Amino acid sequence: MDLSKLKKRPSYPFETIAVAVSFSSRCQSIIVQAKKFSDACGASLLLLHIGDKTQEKEQALDEILDKSGINSSQCRLIWMEGEPVETILKLCKLNIVDLLILGALEKENLLKFYIGSIARNISRKAKCSVLLLTNPTSTPLKFKKFVVNGVSNPKTIHTINTSFYLAKLLNVKEITIVNELDTSGLAMTMAADSTAPETKEIKKNLIDDSEEMLKTLMENCDFSNINVNNKIVKGKQGYAISKYAKDKKADLLVVNSPDTNLNLFDRIFAHDIEYVLADLPCNVLIVHSRV
Amino acid sequence: MVKLAHSELIVLLLSISTMLIVSRIFAELGKRLKLPIVMGELIVGIILGPTILGLISPDVFGFLFPRTGNVPIALDGIFSLSVIMLLFVAGMEVQLSLVLKQGKVAIYTSVFSMVIPFFTGFAVAWFFPEIFSISNEQGPKLLFALFFGTALSISALPVIARILMDMNLFKTNIGMVIIASAMFNDLIGWLIFSLVLSLTNTQAEHLSLWYTVAYILGFGLFMLTIGKKIIDKTLPWMQTKLSWPGGVLSISLGICLLSAAFTEAINIHAILGAFIAGIAFGDSVHLREQAREIIHQFVTNFFAPLFFVSIGLKVNFIENFNPLIVAIVLVLAFVGKVLGATLGARLGGMTRNHSLAVGFGMNARGAMEIILGTLALNAGLISKPIFVALVIMALITSLTSGPIMKRFID
Repeated sequence: MDLSKLKKRPSYPFETIAVAVSFSSRCQSIIVQAKKFSDACGASLLLLHIGDKTQEKEQALDEILDKSGINSSQCRLIWMEGEPVETILKLCKLNIVDLLILGALEKENLLKFYIGSIARNISRKAKCSVLLLTNPTSTPLKFKKFVVNGVSNPKTIHTINTSFYLAKLLNVKEITIVNELDTSGLAMTMAADSTAPETKEIKKNLIDDSEEMLKTLMENCDFSNINVNNKIVKGKQGYAISKYAKDKKADLLVVNSPDTNLNLFDRIFAHDIEYVLADLPCNVLIVHSRV
Repeated sequence: MVKLAHSELIVLLLSISTMLIVSRIFAELGKRLKLPIVMGELIVGIILGPTILGLISPDVFGFLFPRTGNVPIALDGIFSLSVIMLLFVAGMEVQLSLVLKQGKVAIYTSVFSMVIPFFTGFAVAWFFPEIFSISNEQGPKLLFALFFGTALSISALPVIARILMDMNLFKTNIGMVIIASAMFNDLIGWLIFSLVLSLTNTQAEHLSLWYTVAYILGFGLFMLTIGKKIIDKTLPWMQTKLSWPGGVLSISLGICLLSAAFTEAINIHAILGAFIAGIAFGDSVHLREQAREIIHQFVTNFFAPLFFVSIGLKVNFIENFNPLIVAIVLVLAFVGKVLGATLGARLGGMTRNHSLAVGFGMNARGAMEIILGTLALNAGLISKPIFVALVIMALITSLTSGPIMKRFID
C-alpha cells in the first residue's frame, strides 16, 4: 500500500469523506449527515459497506440513497468483505479519506466497551479524522456550539484550525477552546509543608500557565466571525473536557487523535480519549493531524 | 476488656503531643533550610529517642516512652495505623494511566529504573551476604536479597513531585515521565515487598511461594479492575448524598482499613491492601480535589510525623552507624537507579541531558524507603545497621536529587 500521499497531508480541507454503511436503523440518518458534510466541504462522498454484496442490499441502499436525496452519480460505493475494522481502515488509506463518518452509541455496555465496538476501535486506530455521530436524524443536523481541546500537544494547533475550518463551513456561532488542568498531584506535594498563601500561589501559577499556553495557541489561528472563548477546566484530560461538553450541551466535541496505539489496558486504566469514548458527551470529531 | 490506666492514658497523650509539637517545630525550621519535612521528623525521633534523650536523661525518656505496660502496645497500634494510612495516600497518587499515557519513554524508564537497581542489589546481597551479616543459608539469604533489590529500586513519589514542583517542571514532559515512572516503580516495588514480607512472616501460617504470588496478583487485579470500577461508580453518590466531606472521608478510610485487614488476613501484609485501595480510590475521576486534599492533610500532618518520629525512638542511630554498610548502600543506590533510569529514558528517545535529569530525579527515595526499611526491620528481615544505612541513603538521595537534576536541565 502506497502511503506516501497520506504522510504530512494536512488535516483539512476535507476532500474525501467516507461513511460506513451498516444497514442499521440509523443508516439513512448517518448518510444524510454525511451528505451535509460533503456538500459543505465540497468533498467527494464515499460509501463503504463491509460485507457481501447481495441484490437485496443493493436495493435497500438504492432506497436509502433515494430517500436521502443522493444521486448514485454523486457518490462512490465500495463493497468489500472482511473484518470490518481493518477493512474500513484499509479502504480509508487506499482512498485517501480525510474524514470518516460513523454512527456510535453514546455509551456501550461494559463488555462491549472493553472488547471494543467497530466505531470505537476505528476511532482508536484510524489514520484519518473520524466523526462519531451519536444521534443522527433524518434531517441535516444544525451545529451551533463546538468545544475544542486546547491541551499542550503539537497536534492541538491542527485540531483547532480544523475545527475553525469546519465551523466556518457549518456556520457555527460559538467555539470554546478548553484546556484541562489536572491538579491531582498537587495535594501530595503541598500537604506537608506549604502555607495557605503558598498553595494558593502555586495553584494560581498553574492556571496562569494554562491560560498563557491557550493564548499563544490562539495567536496562530484565524477565527474571523466566530465567537471564540477560552476555558480552563480542572480534571483529568479527556474526562474534564467530555464533562464540560456535556454540561454545556455542545453539538460537537473536537479532540486530538490518540498519541499511542490504544489497547485493552488503556480502557481499564483510562486516559485522554478513552474517557470520551467511554461515554460520548455529544457528536465527537477526532482530528488526525498526520504530524 | 483491658483498659489503659489513668496514668497510662496521660503518658500516652503526652508522648503523642510531644511527638507532634516538636516534629512540627523542626519541620518548620527545616523548611527554612529547604530540607525535606521527613528529615525534621527523623531528627526529632533521634532527639527524643535512645540516641540523645535516652542518653542524657534516661528517666524522662523512660517516662515519655515506657517499654512496659499498655502504653507501648497502644503506641505500636498507632504506629501500625500510621504506616497503613501513609501507604493509602501513597497509593492515591499512583495513576497507572499516566504510565500508559506517557508511552514508550515512561515504560522504558520505569522498567530500567526498576530492573537495574533491583538486580544490582540482589546480586550484591546474594554473593556477599557476609557484608550485611546475613546468614549464608538459602532461605534467609534469598529473602534479604529480594528485599535489598526492592529497597534499591523503589522511588519516593511525594519527594520527587515536590522537587519537580519547586523546579517548575511538574507539568512538563520531563516531569511527567519521572512521575509516571516513579508511580510504576512504587506499584511493582510494594508488590514485591509484600511478597517478601509475607514469606518472612513467622507468626502466620505459611503459604507456598506460588500461592502467595497468586494471592497478591489476584487481589491487585481485582482491586484495580472491579474494585476500582465499583469505587468509581459509587463516589459521585458518596460525594453528593452523604455529608460533605465527612462522608467520603469515613468511607475512603474505611475502605482502606477493610482492604488492609483483608490482605493481613490472607497472610499478605496489611500495607498492600492499603496501597492498592489507595490506587483504586485515588485514580477515580470523581474524587474531588478538596476530598483528596483533606485526606492528604490528615495523614501527612498527623500520622506521618508520629510514624517518622517513632523510627528514632526504636533505633540508636549512633550505635548502629556502620560506615562500610552506609557507603555500599549509597554507592549501589546511586549507581543502580541513576544508571537504570538514564538508560531507560535514553532508549525511550530523550536527549542525553534530559535522560540524566530523569536519572537523578528518579534517585530520590525519601519517605517511601524509610517506611520500607522500618517494616523490614520490624519483620526481622534486616539488622539495625542496614536500616540506618537505608535511612541515610533515603535522606542523601532526596537532598541531592534536585540540585543535580538542575545541572542537566539548565
